[in-house]
Amino acid sequence: MNIIECRNICKNFGEKVALDHVSVEIPEGQIFGLLGPNGAGKTTLIRIINRITIPSDGEVFFNGRPITQRDVEKIGYLPEERGLYRKMKVGDQAMYLAQLKGMSAKDASNELKKWFVKFGIESWWNKKVEELSKGMAQKIQFITTVVHKPKLLILDEPFSGFDPVNAQLIREEILRLKDEGSTIILSTHNMESVEELCDNIALFNKSHVVLSGNVDDIRREYGNNNVEIEYTDADGRHVEVVEAGEGANAILRQYIEKGVTINSFKELMPRMNDIFIKLVKGE
Amino acid sequence: MNFRIIRVIIGREYMTRVKKKSFLVTTFVVPVLFALLCSIPALILTLSKGKDKTIAYVDESGYVSGKLEDTKQVAFEDFTGHLSAEELKAQMDNLDFDGILLITPKAEGKEADVNVTTYSTKPVSVEIKEMLTQQIEEAVEDYRLQQYEIDGLKEIMQDVKADVQIVTYTIDEDGEEKETSSEVFMIISMLLSMIIYMFVSMFAGTVMQSVIEEKSSRIVEVLVSSVKAIELMIGKIVGVALVALTQFFLWIVLTVVLVGAFSSIVGFDKLVEGSSSTTQMMEMAGMDSSMMDPSTMTMTMDEHSELGAVLETLQNINYVQLIVAFVLFFVLGYLLYASLFAAVGSAVDNEADTNQLVLPLTIPLMIGFFVGLYAFNSPDSQLVWWCSMIPFTSPIVMLSRIPFGVATWELILSLGLLFLTFLGGAWVSAKIYKVGILMYGKKSSFKDLWKWIRMK
Repeated sequence: MNIIECRNICKNFGEKVALDHVSVEIPEGQIFGLLGPNGAGKTTLIRIINRITIPSDGEVFFNGRPITQRDVEKIGYLPEERGLYRKMKVGDQAMYLAQLKGMSAKDASNELKKWFVKFGIESWWNKKVEELSKGMAQKIQFITTVVHKPKLLILDEPFSGFDPVNAQLIREEILRLKDEGSTIILSTHNMESVEELCDNIALFNKSHVVLSGNVDDIRREYGNNNVEIEYTDADGRHVEVVEAGEGANAILRQYIEKGVTINSFKELMPRMNDIFIKLVKGE
Repeated sequence: MNFRIIRVIIGREYMTRVKKKSFLVTTFVVPVLFALLCSIPALILTLSKGKDKTIAYVDESGYVSGKLEDTKQVAFEDFTGHLSAEELKAQMDNLDFDGILLITPKAEGKEADVNVTTYSTKPVSVEIKEMLTQQIEEAVEDYRLQQYEIDGLKEIMQDVKADVQIVTYTIDEDGEEKETSSEVFMIISMLLSMIIYMFVSMFAGTVMQSVIEEKSSRIVEVLVSSVKAIELMIGKIVGVALVALTQFFLWIVLTVVLVGAFSSIVGFDKLVEGSSSTTQMMEMAGMDSSMMDPSTMTMTMDEHSELGAVLETLQNINYVQLIVAFVLFFVLGYLLYASLFAAVGSAVDNEADTNQLVLPLTIPLMIGFFVGLYAFNSPDSQLVWWCSMIPFTSPIVMLSRIPFGVATWELILSLGLLFLTFLGGAWVSAKIYKVGILMYGKKSSFKDLWKWIRMK
């Protein structure tokens, strides 16, 4: 089941074409990566899914039906350019944003308090936003994005601005939300987190989708089907790259029979980073 | 349109503003200031009595000596014959007087003309100067009259002197006569146009600032991912309007309470006496030179006096009509300007960039303000009439006409035009706003705005 299906989306801003017949299918319960260089049309597509902008042509389906304004309440969106009202108190602000997503004041208050406790930031409730550091504000933004338990979570560069500890915290939360059944669209330039988190991706370039599918499949497809084996024998440590034509077991058996100690064995897959550069530059 | 969401937005816009310190200060300080403005002249009248000054004088002409009479404020001491003018001036420091007055005959010119000089440590007040002029003129006139050697001439002159007071009545549709004072209408007319101009520009400006704030703090993208841009705009405009109305009604209530409390202490007639002297001060400050007739300076307390007319006019004003018209014109005028200002706010990244784009909005507002301010001069002139119909100036100018009486059909026509223009303006603004709030970086021009309006 696809939670989101974009069919033949086109968007022009005057002369400029931002999206040209783009079709993307986002399966439910997975983490979906939107990749692409700046200006490729990712943000425009995200805004169309959020109904912030209306497509010039094409249609978006949510759970198999054309998307409506009510469906937006089931989406949580963390834009890349994000901010809060500087003069407003953290708690009031979070309450406001949660209520805009259709929560009642009571639910909003209960859920928010849980999140504040979880992140250990209860003491911020009555602080003004301008007193918070950037990282602190980011945490609040993350909470306000997920507080209404969205079925679909759209995160645009969610890790920027976080220190490694907090980035890890957010990463864990994303995985936990996925386990709880949310679908997550992750737009990022950080290819490592794509490899780590995403199940499927779509790579945008110049208003088109140039590559889409399962991350592992893509990496295999672009790889040379090699494996890397590291072993120790009488002469010391060795690293060898072998063609994996015969299958991993056969190769391993071969080495074990040689009487060497195997330290590690892994499938050699190209980095997403290399695939990204190859595709974007190559066109 | 999701009204539950719009209510949430209105709630935030309203609460954040009403809780601000600046709102509380303006709401409570302005009526206090206004009440003080009404009561200070009365206070001064009450307090200034008994504060005597002594002026010593020498009259070398012989026309004035012995004829200066003490007033409430000033006592005179005559040194004529004891000291010469020069001596008195020389001794000024030794003698403990507030001032000295030297009267010498003029060498040339009319018979019995005098030169008058005063010396004092502190500048002489306008009031004392006028009193001195009047008394000396009277003394000189008396002397000259005596020179004609006609019996009883003084009485004849007194007899001949005419004292004309115009009592103005207006007759309303029911044929009922009401005593009215044009000065009071003038003040009310000017006040109304000032207040409505202030309110519209202030609160429409607030809307613009708040749009810019949301845009520059980048919260707007989160907001429009939850609500429609148009809902956000409506919520903001309505929320700020409620703040304005709250302030307006608090001002009315507080002013009434304060003035009421004060008049029960000082007495209402004093209060009106005081405030009508404020009126005269405004007139003297050059509002209208034709009204600077000195006869209005002296206040008499008889039945058809200025004061009586002021009181009666104040009682005869149709306050209900005035307040209803004020609220209607303010709300519609505000809605029109606020939606246009919101569009401008959405098109820029920061307040510094608004200059070029707000100009077409501030110019009609200023024109309305100035026409409204001077409408009392001729409330039925062509210019004023048209400005009270054209929607961009009508909220201000129509209000300034209302004290002088406006036909109901004119009010309805003006309100109708204003309402239609508001609908059109809001439609255009919503289109600009929707696109503008997500545009960053480029400085938008009118050409861009036009493009956004036509965008589907």
